[in-house]
Amino acid sequence: MTPTNDLDTALRLRAEQVRADLCAQDAAWGTSGWTRRRFLAGIGMAGVAALGSQLVTSRAAYAAVPSGTERTLLVVFLRGAADGLRILAPNNSALGLDFLKTVRGDLVPADSDLIALPGATGWGLNKKLQPLFDALWASGEMAFVPAVSSPGVSRSHFQAQAFLERGGTDRATSGWLERVLELLGPGTTFRAVTEGWSTPDSLIGMQPSLTLGSLDDFQFPGWDGMRAQAQKAVLDLYRGVGGPLGTDVPVTISALGTAAQIRATANTATYPGGSFSDALKDFAKILKADVGLQVATVDVGGWDTHTNEVNELDGLLDDTAAALRAFMDDLGPARRSRVTVAVMTEFGRRVYMNDSAGADHGHGGLIWLLGGGLASSGVLGKWNGLSAATLDNGDVAGLNSPFDVLGELVQKRLGVGALSTVFPGHTVAPIGVATTA
Amino acid sequence: MTTTIYPSLASAISHSVHTAVAPLTWNPVEHLLARTTFGATPGDRAYVGRYGPDAFYKLQVGRGANYSTYRGNRYVNALCPLLAMNPYDVRQWLIRNGNEYGWEAMDQLTNATLGLQTWSIAQLYEVLVDFFSNHLNVPNHNGDLWNTRHTHDRDVVRRFAMGSYTNMLLASAKNPAMLLYLNLAESNKTAINENYGRELLELHTVGLRYTENDVKNAARLLSGRTLDDNFRYVYDEYIHATGKVTVLGFTDANLRAEDGERAGDNMIRYLAAHPFTATRLAQKLCTRLVSDTPSAGLVNAVAHAYLANRTQILPMVSTILRSAEFWQSRGRKVRRPAENVVATVRTTGVGVSNLPDALDTLHWVTAQMGNTPLEWPTPDGYPDVASAWRSAGTLLRTWEMHLGIAGGWWNGLRAANIAALYGGVPANSGDAIVRLGRTLTGTTLSSTHRSVLQTFLGEPARTPMSRSILQWWDSLLAATILDGPHHALR
Repeated sequence: MTPTNDLDTALRLRAEQVRADLCAQDAAWGTSGWTRRRFLAGIGMAGVAALGSQLVTSRAAYAAVPSGTERTLLVVFLRGAADGLRILAPNNSALGLDFLKTVRGDLVPADSDLIALPGATGWGLNKKLQPLFDALWASGEMAFVPAVSSPGVSRSHFQAQAFLERGGTDRATSGWLERVLELLGPGTTFRAVTEGWSTPDSLIGMQPSLTLGSLDDFQFPGWDGMRAQAQKAVLDLYRGVGGPLGTDVPVTISALGTAAQIRATANTATYPGGSFSDALKDFAKILKADVGLQVATVDVGGWDTHTNEVNELDGLLDDTAAALRAFMDDLGPARRSRVTVAVMTEFGRRVYMNDSAGADHGHGGLIWLLGGGLASSGVLGKWNGLSAATLDNGDVAGLNSPFDVLGELVQKRLGVGALSTVFPGHTVAPIGVATTA
Repeated sequence: MTTTIYPSLASAISHSVHTAVAPLTWNPVEHLLARTTFGATPGDRAYVGRYGPDAFYKLQVGRGANYSTYRGNRYVNALCPLLAMNPYDVRQWLIRNGNEYGWEAMDQLTNATLGLQTWSIAQLYEVLVDFFSNHLNVPNHNGDLWNTRHTHDRDVVRRFAMGSYTNMLLASAKNPAMLLYLNLAESNKTAINENYGRELLELHTVGLRYTENDVKNAARLLSGRTLDDNFRYVYDEYIHATGKVTVLGFTDANLRAEDGERAGDNMIRYLAAHPFTATRLAQKLCTRLVSDTPSAGLVNAVAHAYLANRTQILPMVSTILRSAEFWQSRGRKVRRPAENVVATVRTTGVGVSNLPDALDTLHWVTAQMGNTPLEWPTPDGYPDVASAWRSAGTLLRTWEMHLGIAGGWWNGLRAANIAALYGGVPANSGDAIVRLGRTLTGTTLSSTHRSVLQTFLGEPARTPMSRSILQWWDSLLAATILDGPHHALR
């Protein structure tokens, strides 16, 4: 192919991209009709783009130009109910260690398997999280909230996950993060990204978000001689189509150009491998490319430790910590000051060990907070020393609301104002995990 | 609110408003095939066109009976001999073949499932097998289930997919794979494991209508159900927890350990026939066959059919197909990724050059989209509503898959025979678009869509075939038609 043809192809692709963006805008904002004027505007912008001007996506073009100072909230959901009591262990009498030893058997970590946390007397951090502790604790970038749950969270995985992700209601048809996006107003195509197979409940709704398996795979199929035509044809076949595809097809095509730019961004840390690690690696690239990422989500599965918990949980913690450490290193201190990671799960596990050296479904769970924007390192929120009298049906009670933690993060870090639509029926009472600085 | 259930499918069609979700159009033949099979084929279209929808339903019910388990396609069946063995024999076979804990039986199960969805003549049966596999989900390729997983498919789901749900559930509650997966096999009176008891209530039967006490009671009554050293189900009264149990409206004194199995079966019968269970199953089946938001009236009618027919499954299906709501729902479902893959193979009619390779291809292509059958990791099964499948990444993979299948890129499958899909010699480029569109979507494409595709080809409709870009781009055109909404929706 001659250089002229290359340029021609690039121009046509760019024009398609811009047009896709406009269609995406129409679909997302409910404006009707794609017009010839817009098409011509797209062609015009394609010319500008070819001259090397920074046209990232349509949304950049017409709505929000990434400022390079966006803050980002990354929500990591540990699916299956991670056992907080073995991740952040109460390790003195006041916190409940004596009681735990009578009912929890081998699930109670030995002192040699724990890291003492300076400033958080009595708490022991599972040694598998050493890489994170080493990198983040001293700099005030690592905090935990134990005994997290909410009225309305049952001991069913599916109900509890849906309830939390819909922001404290079983009835909402949208997710809490989707409603955060709505309050944030227009953003770039890459303002909300999930790595995984499908959009999580937290992002379900009318606000567009991107769900992708990986950046490497995020390319229109085929080859140069047909891609531009095929993209245009697919877009046009969906013009006027309602439902999720009517939004998702144009949004997908509009994101292709930015994805190529992000792919060209380098990672500068060594990741351990595995799907969670791969996702974090992509998120680091997206952050470094400064394309306006505000909200990101990724899941880690396998935490439903009804059996053989010591091996299963500690193995998962090992992998999870290694991946998060690489991500933090990759971002570096300056960039990660704009990135807060919230690691949550649907509920904690039963305090009593079962007959399979595991723990059944419980109630109060653990949130971990990592990265920038935290008030300080520490263990925050309420805790009642564990004893038969302080348990809630055999479980850690829910003393701290997850919505207080998440709400404080989006208010202080993303600058969202009133949260009554995000967490309907819950008044957010910050417990002091984050700063606005 | 009541929904009218008509005496026959034809009668329901005649009482329906002619409607569909744009750009799809009213077309009862295509609609029936899109919902009761994994993708329309020319043969099925001809059958429904000639004998009518009621005859097709009857045909499919008969085939489900006559070609049950893995008999819907003998070539697929012949590739999966381990599925006929019990867990002990699978283990012996694996030992003889040098890998005691090998995944061959689980691989054969994936292959059989994909192969039968694609090529079984008992399509309605496969649709129901898929539905109940997800309803009672036990993830395949789970390390602990290397020699047992297939027994849940064969002896539970496939055995009763067109029979009684009560019998399916009774079998499931004694199935080695289910007992291992949800830890019932290791539960005992000194330390009850509640995992199975909870999911029995929440997922398999009544839904979130139970209390924590119900879970504890159900789990206690089911203790004693375990496996022997050869992975056979046994009831071990020595580990059964006695003492009165109450689960919703069911009560048993549970005095004697030796009666614990019978009492557990009674509880399962009670739960299977509970009105909450009926409503949940009806809601889920309507969501599979009608729309993501079926009306309460239809759900009630289907639940009633289930209860009135002693928990038989087919009366629910028949009730759905005899409602106007069903026939008025064309285009209201978005195909899930794996459904799109299978429908692409069926609709393009691509040939097989090597069946084992073809099945491997279907396996990894669906894996790339996170939707290989039987692989959903948690006991609730793959979600069945479009909102749960929204993914830009999967859309791109789907479009790539259309190119790959139409173009014959991948092992085991031949390229689409476009000349055959034209169904005759096209007069020119525009005619080729019309003909290909008709075969691949079952309908005549609108002038707007024809013009989009003409622009894609970059030539006027009157271009003769001898000078048309279709000499090189025919499979690209097929793929692009499949990318569009007609194939994405069902």
